[in-house]
Amino acid sequence: MAKHVWLPLVLALLTLGCSSEDASVIQNDNSQVDAGVDQGTEPAPAEGTIGYSAMSLKNPFFVIISDSLKQAGAEHGFSVITTDADTDVNKQANQIEDFISQGVDAIVLNPTDRLAIGPAIKKANEAGIPVFTCDLQCVAEDIEIAGHIGTDNFQGGELAGGAMVEVLGEEGGEVLVLDFKQANSCVLRVDGFKKVLDEHNASTDDGKITIVAEINGGGDQDIGYKAAADSLKAHPNLRGIFAINDPSALGAWQAVKEADRLDVIQIVGFDGELAGKQAILEGKIYADPIQFPKQMGQGIIEKLLAYQAGQEYEKITLIPTALYKKEDAEKDPELKAAE
Amino acid sequence: MMKNKYIRVLLVDYGMVFVLIALCLLISLLTISDMQPEDPGAARKLAASLVKEAGADINVLVVARTTAADKAFANALREGLEQGGAHVVGVELGDPTSLRKRLELLGQQDERLDFVATHDFSSKWRVLSSQSRVEMASLYPALKNLKIAKPPSYRWPTFLTANNLIGILNQNAPIAIMAIGMTLVIITAGIDLSVGSLMALAAVVTATTIQSYLGGKEAGGWDIAAAFAVAMGVCALAGMFAGVIVTAFKVPPFVVTLGLMMIARGMSYILAGGADAVKIEAESIGTLYSSSFLGIPSQIVLMVLLFIAAHVVMNHTAFGRYVYAVGGNETAARLSGVPVVAVLIAVYAICGLSAGLAGVLDVSHFGTGRPKAGEFYELQVIAAVVVGGTSLMGGEGKIFGTFIGALILGVIQNGLNMAGVDSYRQMVIYGTLILVAVLIDQLKKKVIKPTVKLAKTGEFDSF
Repeated sequence: MAKHVWLPLVLALLTLGCSSEDASVIQNDNSQVDAGVDQGTEPAPAEGTIGYSAMSLKNPFFVIISDSLKQAGAEHGFSVITTDADTDVNKQANQIEDFISQGVDAIVLNPTDRLAIGPAIKKANEAGIPVFTCDLQCVAEDIEIAGHIGTDNFQGGELAGGAMVEVLGEEGGEVLVLDFKQANSCVLRVDGFKKVLDEHNASTDDGKITIVAEINGGGDQDIGYKAAADSLKAHPNLRGIFAINDPSALGAWQAVKEADRLDVIQIVGFDGELAGKQAILEGKIYADPIQFPKQMGQGIIEKLLAYQAGQEYEKITLIPTALYKKEDAEKDPELKAAE
Repeated sequence: MMKNKYIRVLLVDYGMVFVLIALCLLISLLTISDMQPEDPGAARKLAASLVKEAGADINVLVVARTTAADKAFANALREGLEQGGAHVVGVELGDPTSLRKRLELLGQQDERLDFVATHDFSSKWRVLSSQSRVEMASLYPALKNLKIAKPPSYRWPTFLTANNLIGILNQNAPIAIMAIGMTLVIITAGIDLSVGSLMALAAVVTATTIQSYLGGKEAGGWDIAAAFAVAMGVCALAGMFAGVIVTAFKVPPFVVTLGLMMIARGMSYILAGGADAVKIEAESIGTLYSSSFLGIPSQIVLMVLLFIAAHVVMNHTAFGRYVYAVGGNETAARLSGVPVVAVLIAVYAICGLSAGLAGVLDVSHFGTGRPKAGEFYELQVIAAVVVGGTSLMGGEGKIFGTFIGALILGVIQNGLNMAGVDSYRQMVIYGTLILVAVLIDQLKKKVIKPTVKLAKTGEFDSF
């Protein structure tokens, strides 16, 4: 009985499939493009599709990249399909394969695993679809990346180090680092941070800053909180905490507050997501080197346009971060709007 | 009346097949779009119609990418054009940059170029846009009348392409394979939460075995096969261990496998020395994943063979009947002489083994042993089994149903991606569809089962 319900559907599908096959003739396509040349005026916007496989849409950072990609893409006639890889490289590889079957014009991704995503990118290469990476780079061998745009994390780490030196002042003291070694970007942030501290320590006799511990903050509020709470007990003289992103910085703030040591301990975060900026306004976090995810979507589209036009372009762009402090937060229209 | 009964049996046993077909039709309708042919056949047609429309006195540049399929397209196009009498000034296989250089070179040589013949993908390169052509025409008079020719498009669902359908099967093969083991466990009224972690353990064990003991870069095909066997053996042992705890100490399987899940995940990280994937340098590591049989990826062939084997075992062997009996009523099974303990241990070992195989496939796919592999896969595997009509209460379920269940989940995922549904809505739809699928199954049983049960009792008498 129920079988008959599907029959009309099958028939509808078949007729759709058949009737359309002989509908279009070459001339239509031809004359359309010809018209553009003859009149030479209207730059007919080429329609195109971009497939974007985001690291995780639970993180607002990648939602901003997706939005900016859609906005910048729409201005140049590209529609953007965003999929959520949910930090799973297997999911991301499947999404890239789906993009290839769909015949998109370009693929953009934040590699969920800098090595293991290689074979999927290779498949896209073999299908002749240009691949752009964003935020995180892929280090797999014999693959071709048409362009990359990301944050200069080492420079950001240096700014964070500078902020720490500034806020601890002449006294210096003990500092805790909440890191996240799984992500190469976060390793670079800590490297930049250490470089500035080393320079500072070499230039002064008193007021040296020592890193007493580097522990995993998970890049997460909950893990950052637990890690900081344990370290606070182990290091009674702690004066500063550098967390490699805003959630772990906020977790650390919670731990410091519960230990009742907010007056002596200063926190430097990273990223500049809305919650982080809000915390800076409220004086919870001293400063953040901030990233510019909005520029990333725009930058990728610019690279794609240059690629398609066959023009020379910079393959890798690293956007420098900027230091964001309380006085910046007071002037920030984004925070006023949120209030 | 007879016919009606058969339809009822068909609906009860294979109702999910209709759900799958309905889903495929729905997604097909949703994904109908312009298809752009890029095959040699389309190239020959394009050549013929171009000569017919524009005459034979034309100079044509054939443009395509460097991929193997594009080379075939370009060759067919060139041959077709030359047979028609047109003059092919060259074949440019490359990217927009190389095409721009080629066009500029042709412009400098000042030989009139009438057409660029290509497929849709390359026709959208901006170097060929009307604006860019106007700019080039102002520099090079030879390019003044340059037009683009490409094969016409046709409407067809992107979902219903061989490429995509094979892709769905291939992407879901590891989950489906794990679902075979899970089906057996759930039929015995148990559960196995450790499959995702065991998958990671197998992946990391394979990688470290090859890198540390089998010569790393020098490891050959047999070495890799040995590493695969070791990894699968480890997982089978882990499963067996879970089975022993479940049977010897009467600990609920949920708790036992929850513990095993954490142990296996932790061991994976320890063996890998952190969260970074262990890279395998041996060249033939990808052979298992990338090889194919009659054009079908070997992973799919393996999956289908395993499902057939499992179907035979469950329906035509004593072991299969024992598994159903243990799940239906353990005490009754024991009293009638079924070796309950051995059956349960075997079932968990098989489940571990299937997780190990999924891990091995993952290694071959990515060329690395990832300690993060298979996170939350246990839930997807259980969902596939349940959607496939296996009861969590035990005693009931079909291997074929699990296959359909895995496909339904895979098709939904693929369809939602294809239809461009955003990921937050995907979660809601995915969850709702699982609920609806299971509800339909339940309702159907309530409404249709009574008559069928009578028809079936005869079968069950046989053991």
